[in-house]
Amino acid sequence: MSSFRNISRRDFLKFCAGTASILGLSEAAVPRIAKALEGAAKKPPVIWLEGQDCAGCSISFINSSNPGTAELVLDTISLRYHESLMAASGHVSEKAIQDTIKNESGGYVLLVEGSIPTEDPRFCQIAGRNFVDIVAEAAAGAAAVIAIGSCATYGGIPGDCPTPGRGMGVGDAMDKGLVPKKALINCPTCPVHPERLIGTIVYYLLYGKPPALDKVGRPVVFYDKLIHDNCERRGHFDNGEFLTDWNSFEKRNWCMYLKGCKGPFTHSDCPKRRWSDGLNWCIGCSSVCQGCAEPDFYAGMSPLYERSGKNLRGVSVEKIGAYATGAVAVGLAGHFIGQAMTGRLGKGGPPEEGGGN
Amino acid sequence: MGQRITVDPVTRIEGHLKIEVEIENGVVKDAWSSGTMARGFEALLTGKDPRDASYVTSRFCGVCFSVHQMASAACLDDAFGAQVPDGGRILRNLLMGSEYLYDHIIHFYHLTALDYLDIMAVAGYNGNDAGLNAVKDKVVSLVKRGDTYPLTPRYEPDEFSVADPEIVTMAVSHYLEALKIQVTAKNMGAVLGGGRVPHYQGIVVGGVTQIPSPEEIGRFKSMLAEVTAFIKNVYMKDVLLLGGPGGPLFPLAQLGVGGGHLNYLSYGGFPEEASGKEMFFKAGVVRNLHLDNVQSFDPDKVTESVKYAWYREQEPVHPYDGEQIFDRDKADAYSFVKAPRYDGMAFEVGPLARMLIEKNPTLLSLVQAGAKPGAVARHAARMIETVALADQMQVWLGQLIEAQGKPGFRIHDTDHWEVPDTAEGAGFYEAPRGALGHWMKIKDKKIANYQAVVPSTWNASPRDEKGVRGQYEESLIGAPVPDPENPINIVRVIRSFDPCLACAVHIIDPKTNQIRKFRIG
Ligand code: SF4
Ligand code: SF4
Repeated sequence: MSSFRNISRRDFLKFCAGTASILGLSEAAVPRIAKALEGAAKKPPVIWLEGQDCAGCSISFINSSNPGTAELVLDTISLRYHESLMAASGHVSEKAIQDTIKNESGGYVLLVEGSIPTEDPRFCQIAGRNFVDIVAEAAAGAAAVIAIGSCATYGGIPGDCPTPGRGMGVGDAMDKGLVPKKALINCPTCPVHPERLIGTIVYYLLYGKPPALDKVGRPVVFYDKLIHDNCERRGHFDNGEFLTDWNSFEKRNWCMYLKGCKGPFTHSDCPKRRWSDGLNWCIGCSSVCQGCAEPDFYAGMSPLYERSGKNLRGVSVEKIGAYATGAVAVGLAGHFIGQAMTGRLGKGGPPEEGGGN
Repeated sequence: MGQRITVDPVTRIEGHLKIEVEIENGVVKDAWSSGTMARGFEALLTGKDPRDASYVTSRFCGVCFSVHQMASAACLDDAFGAQVPDGGRILRNLLMGSEYLYDHIIHFYHLTALDYLDIMAVAGYNGNDAGLNAVKDKVVSLVKRGDTYPLTPRYEPDEFSVADPEIVTMAVSHYLEALKIQVTAKNMGAVLGGGRVPHYQGIVVGGVTQIPSPEEIGRFKSMLAEVTAFIKNVYMKDVLLLGGPGGPLFPLAQLGVGGGHLNYLSYGGFPEEASGKEMFFKAGVVRNLHLDNVQSFDPDKVTESVKYAWYREQEPVHPYDGEQIFDRDKADAYSFVKAPRYDGMAFEVGPLARMLIEKNPTLLSLVQAGAKPGAVARHAARMIETVALADQMQVWLGQLIEAQGKPGFRIHDTDHWEVPDTAEGAGFYEAPRGALGHWMKIKDKKIANYQAVVPSTWNASPRDEKGVRGQYEESLIGAPVPDPENPINIVRVIRSFDPCLACAVHIIDPKTNQIRKFRIG
């Protein structure tokens, strides 16, 4: 009889420990987290809406091993509505969301995945209703709203689509008065990182308020650092060593800048947190950072596989390009780039744009 | 006139789907399938750098992300004239294989199993198995706490539901185990070069980006072994125990609930050599279940009808020969999904189509035992191909290790292409859900037109101009719905296709939609 409790308890404490480490808290915080999550008379209700999405954030959400999603979904929160996971369909699922909105007003957390079409709101309908109206209704009674993934935060790819369905993020919909203003936390990247999402939910449950946010609504704890400043390949950048041929085993860890890396323009803890349980990440597979944590993703980051036209602080892209193609004396350019990058690029601050090409 | 009922949203699928049916005497007499969300990726891609396509189109779908990246990269390979080296081809196969393994496991356990299990039956479990008792305690504790979301509410179990406490408890324990294994299956692909999941980063025009290290190969190998053990010891056994002869779902299989048009189409997938002629999943066409006459696929025979879709009216044409303009106010239209037809007929794509076209012996033995094509056969076919793929991935891994040991090993073509001024190309693949095609036209080094016809466009299509139903619609005809308040067989049938609606809907720029070339790459 007790075997499962033990397993469950162990998993639950593991979940709490995993969450503490995500939030940058020490081991000492684990009992406090466990107590806060267990102490509640009932599990806090959560509504998860999907609009113009690809379900990628939902799939990402269930890709977390520590903390595990089963513990979150079964032990920690009461997931009232989530189209991709819930047992109910049709009128039964509609009743579940309506009951929560009515009976738990002011007491549930609303998660939004996917953008919201507003120009012609009929480009996303669920149960015969326009998605924007569903979000507005659910947000009205929500204690807080967490927008997850690039689409729900800043519009993402659907936001750039030149069709009457052009979607917008939750913040824009609030600014336009289409959705009631509520405490809003933005968790971008395409898709959302499961640890950042779970960490944000648990932080909110623990403290009853959003974590410190940056200017574009992202939790500072996850999004304050420039990828470029923490990238494992930064040493190669500083040495002017750029990957140009994916077939070279020796150079497989060289800097991706010339292949189009947007790490110098993107803020998130991807280099430290990595993806897929820490096993790899975008730059780790010798692809490029596409800048998906930023509000101007996607169109502002395109072309994705060309080095950016944006200037790094004080260094024109021509110089780097010329260096890489050998058009400038290697020693000189290498010296220049090395100095410029290590010396002049401030840690933690975004590089300036403009001032040339 | 029968009674009309609506299931909206159909949950535990990807995307937004509404199903309406008309019921007479307790069975479905007519049905309508509607995709109710559209974004417009193709229009977005117009004017962009063609290489962006493999990244952007991955976002068609967050569940089957990598196959869009793959089909798009194949489309770029074709347009650019890139020659993917063997190392790149094998790595692509392994990355795609990882996606299949995770996707099929998730579909069975997390998206569809709850349709067949009376989950509350675990309370009656009386055995001694510590693990199963743990599961029982878990569910019972949720019930006691008065909060069993998201496992309930639900449609109520019916006469086909499995209520044996031992079987249900075991299935629920496998549901939880599968939640962990699907992470491993997905992450395998991330380790070997996808970079992360969902939405791989590593498949690009010309091949892949990550030349694997021995440690990465070793890790992939042990993860594959772990996932394969689950597939063979748990997934395969569960499907056969539930849906095989003598199993509690076999009566559903014998009734053939969810059969549909009985026409099957596959483009072929997982190339076994550079030309792409030899495929692990074969291409082919089967009409009216005539397995003795598997025809080859002729891409010129594809047309799309928009009669009942929210696009401006036009005659059915080849996907690239017509204008396509939104008309959200069109009378009679009821879906954002268009109606692709092959040789004027509606087809099913996906695992059942693939395994029938292959004449897979395990599937045929189930048919011989009395199973008819339908929802249960679809689950069986999906399991069968998962087992086959897991085995084949071992073979590809061996080929990779051997190739990498030789000098001149390459994963990417860096020599044969630049972004062309003007070009067109096509990329085909078998996605977990079925036949997938991407097409692109390039002008002035920019995308002039992009088009995708995806598996769920085939399966979820509305009626065509002749009034012929799409495969979801047809497959619902005759499904028993004794209680209109509890249309559980409707969702069983629909979910057996593993719907994926977001990518089924696409919109393209009317002015530039003029690609005429249509060929297998
Ligand atoms: S440019 Fe990209 S790969 Fe290079 S160091 Fe910066 S973030 Fe890393
Ligand atoms: S590394 Fe860049 S592209 Fe990858 S998830 Fe982070 S922000 Fe997005």
